[in-house]
Amino acid sequence: MISVKNLSHSYGNDRKLAVKNISFEVENGETFGFLGPSGAGKSTTQGILTGLLKLQKGDVSVAGYDISRVHNERFNTIGVSFEQSNVYSKLTAKENLQFYAKLFDVPTRDPMELIHLVGLLGKENDLAGTFSKGMKHRLTFARSMINNPELWFLDEPTTGLDPAIAANIKDIIKEKTTAGTTAFLTTHNMFIADELCDRVAFIIDGEIVLIDTPSSLKLQYGQKLVVITYLKDDQVVKETLKTTDEKDRLRIGEVVNLYEVQTMHTKEATLEEIFIQVTGRGLV
Amino acid sequence: MKNILKIFMRDLKTARRDSMALIIIIMPIVLAIGITLFTPGLADTTVNLALLKNDDPAHIQYMENFAKVELFDTRQDAIARVQKRDDVAAVIRKDKSYEIILQGNEPNMVENYAASLSALYETGQTIEASNVTLYSFGQSTSPIKTMLVNMLISMTIMLAGMLIAISIVGEKADNTINAVNVTPVSQTEFVLGKTLLGGFIALVSIIIALLITGYDDINWLMILLVGVSSMALSLIIGFLMGLMSDDVIEAATNVKMIMLPVAGSILGYELLAANWQWTMYWSPFYWAYKANQLVLSKTADWPSVLLSTGMVLLLTLLVYFAAKPKIRKGLS
Ligand SMILES: Nc1ncnc2c1ncn2[C@@H]1O[C@H](COP(=O)(O)OP(=O)(O)O)[C@@H](O)[C@H]1O
Ligand SMILES: [Mg+2]
Repeated sequence: MISVKNLSHSYGNDRKLAVKNISFEVENGETFGFLGPSGAGKSTTQGILTGLLKLQKGDVSVAGYDISRVHNERFNTIGVSFEQSNVYSKLTAKENLQFYAKLFDVPTRDPMELIHLVGLLGKENDLAGTFSKGMKHRLTFARSMINNPELWFLDEPTTGLDPAIAANIKDIIKEKTTAGTTAFLTTHNMFIADELCDRVAFIIDGEIVLIDTPSSLKLQYGQKLVVITYLKDDQVVKETLKTTDEKDRLRIGEVVNLYEVQTMHTKEATLEEIFIQVTGRGLV
Repeated sequence: MKNILKIFMRDLKTARRDSMALIIIIMPIVLAIGITLFTPGLADTTVNLALLKNDDPAHIQYMENFAKVELFDTRQDAIARVQKRDDVAAVIRKDKSYEIILQGNEPNMVENYAASLSALYETGQTIEASNVTLYSFGQSTSPIKTMLVNMLISMTIMLAGMLIAISIVGEKADNTINAVNVTPVSQTEFVLGKTLLGGFIALVSIIIALLITGYDDINWLMILLVGVSSMALSLIIGFLMGLMSDDVIEAATNVKMIMLPVAGSILGYELLAANWQWTMYWSPFYWAYKANQLVLSKTADWPSVLLSTGMVLLLTLLVYFAAKPKIRKGLS
């Protein structure tokens, strides 16, 4: 569905590259996660793939089209949700979707259904200019589904939303991708990535560090952790110990022998912890 | 074409909700009404005269050729008529000549008209002999009014450009150009949709303004042609202003800058001697003004209208090609 070979991109004429010689493929029906801290080059990559930024260097084909040439009709099968919401503030929520729907040459979804889906029911006749940031973001997200895209670009779809709404958006994405939509998802939220993505790419400073499935990553990098709570001098103490670490293993035995253990269970490393381990950097 | 119309319809919808855009749409019409009220009418060139029934029948007949004549029994009755609200001049025999009685608040034209007619009558001009002079007096367009209406047209074109600018500034503020760029609508269609907004509103405003001000017997085909070149002008002004500005206030400031060459072109046309007119040939506004002038004063022939509008289009095209990379870049 997407094939990227040796893609580089620079804003301005300086040597500093926002994206450095990256290559990856996204299979039909796959949900591909692009993970990295802000400024890593995720949005830049999405911008090039959606044709909003000019291809400078590399070979990119999206949905069967070579993107160095203009094919407006290819957008009939593509949906794009932007990191920064961008809806007409002088149009109502419904009018925004109605106008956008008309721009496609393929059957489109009912605006009211989408408004309902993203929890904006009752606000459909309010001008989008009066919306909160989160509401605009949801409208932008809803708009990206209007043409039933086969390929769906999602730039930070849940960032900045409150947890309940983020969970709702996540469920919508899950439902669509399960039904076969190919998705290119950009995020710095590892929980979202873990739950939605078939494969993830770690990107940092414009470079892809690794590409793998979340489960394989956990097998490779995830140290098994043991969390023990025990009583010491009438106080509850909690310790997290690695089963892969020699000293920690001895400590586990020590605790079990010396104290009254209350709980003890193992825990998988999160994608976030793996990211930190691989890149040496956090995700903020 | 379908996509162009969709962009146009959305812009129109938004313009209806924008107070500034509404003012821009309504302004030319208000000004046209103003011009009609405060300059001597074109359609209404008939002057009302009050004469006495016992006047020389030859005089009455002569006056009836050029004015709407009302007859009264006495001088008092005629004066009473003059003092009513509308503009009537009484022309009453006094000794061997005539005196003209006015209320005092009539337009100068009424006074001049009555005086000139009387003078012509006294010097014994017959209709036949004075045909040329009198015909032109009664039927030609008022130069001041034509100038004002022409200025109004120039302004309407600029305001229409302003509409495009407002629309683009809005798209920039909402960052919606990106959203349209990931639909099957091409950038060219997007640009043409906005052009249609400016051009359509400019054309409609100009037509309404011409009808209101009474220029309904001009050559409409010519006006349409001038309208097309006006559309090109609105486009270039609008897109440049829109892309140069980040908000409506800034766009309005940029309009003022464009006012300069427009005002300069109009002044140049009106004030420069014929052998200096060439100094204005660089300005598309000059040619647009000139083309309109020819059409409005009904002195236009096709070659000169084609030349003027051709020059407008040519110069606009030059500006367009110079600005094209900037426009393309600004839209992506
Ligand atoms: N319009 C721009 N002009 C100049 N530099 C930019 C622009 N957009 C992004 N950048 C730079 O490119 C790099 C990658 O940015 P971006 O792709 O937005 O990162 P991400 O989406 O991963 O947070 C950053 O260093 C950022 O500062
Ligand atoms: Mg980003």
